[in-house]
Amino acid sequence: MATREVISTGNELSAIAAVDAGCEFFGGYPLTPSSEVMHVLSDLLPKVGGVSIQMEDEIAGICAVIGASMVGQRAMTATSGPGISLKAENLGLAQMAEVPLVCVNVMRGGPSTGLPTRVSQGDVAQAKNPSHGDYKSITLCAGNLAECYTETVRAFNLADRFMQPVFVLLDETLGHMHGKAEIPTAEAVKAGIVPRKKFDGPADEYFPYEAAQDEPAVLNPMYEGYRYHFTGLHHDKNGFPTEEIHTCKALIERLFNKVEAHEDELESYEEFMMDDAEVMIIAYGSVSLAAKESIRHLRDEGIKAGLFRPITLWPSPVDAIRKWTSKIDKVLCVELNIGQYHDEIQRASGRLDIEELFKVNGRPISPYEIVNKVKEL
Amino acid sequence: MAAMVAPENTPVWVNTDRCKACDICVDACPAGVLSMMAEPTSTLGAMISVIAPEACIGCNECELTCPDFAIYVAEKKEFKFAKLTDASKARQEAIVNNKYRLPSGY
Amino acid sequence: MAFNYDQYLRLEKMPTLWCWGCGDGVILKAFIRAVDKLGIGQDDMCVVSGIGCSGRFSSYVDFNTVHTTHGRTIAYATGIKLANPSKYVVCVAGDGDALAIGGNHTIHGCRRNIDITMIVIQNFIYGLTNSQTSPTTPQGMWTVTQKAGNIDPTFDACELAIAAGASFVGRETVNAPKKMEKMITQALEHRGFSFVELNSNCHINLGRKNKMVSAMENLDWIDSITVSKRKYDTLPPEEQMNLLPTGILKQDTEVREYCDMYQDIIDVHQGKRGKITQDDFVKKI
Repeated sequence: MATREVISTGNELSAIAAVDAGCEFFGGYPLTPSSEVMHVLSDLLPKVGGVSIQMEDEIAGICAVIGASMVGQRAMTATSGPGISLKAENLGLAQMAEVPLVCVNVMRGGPSTGLPTRVSQGDVAQAKNPSHGDYKSITLCAGNLAECYTETVRAFNLADRFMQPVFVLLDETLGHMHGKAEIPTAEAVKAGIVPRKKFDGPADEYFPYEAAQDEPAVLNPMYEGYRYHFTGLHHDKNGFPTEEIHTCKALIERLFNKVEAHEDELESYEEFMMDDAEVMIIAYGSVSLAAKESIRHLRDEGIKAGLFRPITLWPSPVDAIRKWTSKIDKVLCVELNIGQYHDEIQRASGRLDIEELFKVNGRPISPYEIVNKVKEL
Repeated sequence: MAAMVAPENTPVWVNTDRCKACDICVDACPAGVLSMMAEPTSTLGAMISVIAPEACIGCNECELTCPDFAIYVAEKKEFKFAKLTDASKARQEAIVNNKYRLPSGY
Repeated sequence: MAFNYDQYLRLEKMPTLWCWGCGDGVILKAFIRAVDKLGIGQDDMCVVSGIGCSGRFSSYVDFNTVHTTHGRTIAYATGIKLANPSKYVVCVAGDGDALAIGGNHTIHGCRRNIDITMIVIQNFIYGLTNSQTSPTTPQGMWTVTQKAGNIDPTFDACELAIAAGASFVGRETVNAPKKMEKMITQALEHRGFSFVELNSNCHINLGRKNKMVSAMENLDWIDSITVSKRKYDTLPPEEQMNLLPTGILKQDTEVREYCDMYQDIIDVHQGKRGKITQDDFVKKI
């Protein structure tokens, strides 16, 4: 793939990626530390004839995004933890009605107002279940500047493929980090766009929500002769509300299966120096940068540490986690929260002895903290 | 205009599949054309009936106020409607005073 | 021949789930007649409804339809409209949906003056969920959340819409179906935010314990609390306080519409015009 070198921040890279990936609509609200995504898109989108609108609140932001996506546009929002909390109900409608969208969360200290200008990874558990009810989350996590771009691009393609919201987690460190990144060219990204499926037959043979049990709905753009109904209620193949017992069961199962049956398309992780590793460090996001540095120090001192870095956090890479945790005795989970992914590692591995290095005071974890912790194990 | 063909020689006709017996059209009619009748198989135990079509003046109030697409009125240019008479008005008053049902023996 | 509503209905969903005599059906028919009169193609219309009995409005009509979360019709509609400004977007919501949980979005839809027609089905109660107080339930009436009698003050939604900047504001009642049809027609034709409040009867929930058990009694009550704007303007304040004016209450065809103004932003970024400044606007604050 053709690449280019740019100097930018994580937030700006996410915004540029959106436009390159064909995003035509942004709806949002200012929320530190994500606001720069909106600031950049407010210039980039109208330049390509798209729309960027600052709505009156976070909820209106996501609703406008869902509306534009219902019409057929690629649409996105960007926010932080408190915004996801506000958007939760409508994210649930997007899951239920199978409306694709990209939701960038530049994580900051929480809960509540927390630490608005400081880093955390405290929204990982929330990304799995921001809204009530049963549905399957797709959550990606950028681990360096370039991934702020590439994971946003991937999110748009996955959203259209699976017809649901896709979360892209950045954090305040990455969002505001200013540096060099090697990213694909805009042309390469454009050539890789896989738009959502469309039904081409006669309108009276079109049933938007009649899909195989492992496939998403096929939702044609509005205003093109295919009229149907979007709702957050349980619905039948036309989208009309129903409470019929078999239809409701099949719908929820399909909302799960459409993701679970194709986890191979979603799985993404990095194995850094894992081949001969005797200590497994699990880290994601900006923490992984410190982890890699700590591994260089540890190896210099003869400790064979390696990093397993999930990039798709949800669904989690269960097979890969099991493979490594069944081989390696010392496993250390390092994150900027009180063990949100640590819980998942224990669940996936079946082990209850996964070591912890957590930090929740809004400061980054330094490589030396990781080095010292590993030496203690 | 989205149009349907009217049944022959009929000023006003009803769709009993859709009527919920709310009484509004019977109340709205100035000419005693409509009445509720007992109908044990329907939810409220009543159903609309056109009891005096020959008295219909074509004012369209029943169609405009029906919430359920259950009553239709022919167009003025296609049907010669009646004029409003004192007898029609009296019958209407009797119907309204008898809970929207034509009194027996009227 | 007679007007055939069936062309615009999703016939497999009939009969409606609304109670016998519910004004929602009368409003639905007036809306269909208005759309038909204007010759709007079914593919060129999107109807967005909220939560409540009025929320079912969108599932009955054969247009592009969206049934949203409680209070958010205008927020969804803003995205839908901006994604394709050439199409008709109509919001239908009840008084609770539009004025309680959705109050903020109503204010900002009016403020932006975006070309959406907002129909508020005003029945002065939360109907679907069984008689909870709405922001417009008269004080002293019985509601299930204030069985001792409602103490919550009310406000005039049309005055809110006017103050917030809607360029077309009107009110009609279910007692006047032809006037409702005409107002909806004018609202659809108007380019800008059209706020239309349609007073409707909920005899099953509002009326039941407030001495209006039948549809006719509820409709008579609506008649007693509304009066034409022309007459309203001649009345002293003590009488005005207990009446709602009907008719077109505001109509401004000069003020610019939001999508048209956004095109200016696109033009600035595409180098087709200079930056927008305060001099581009008549209103400077």
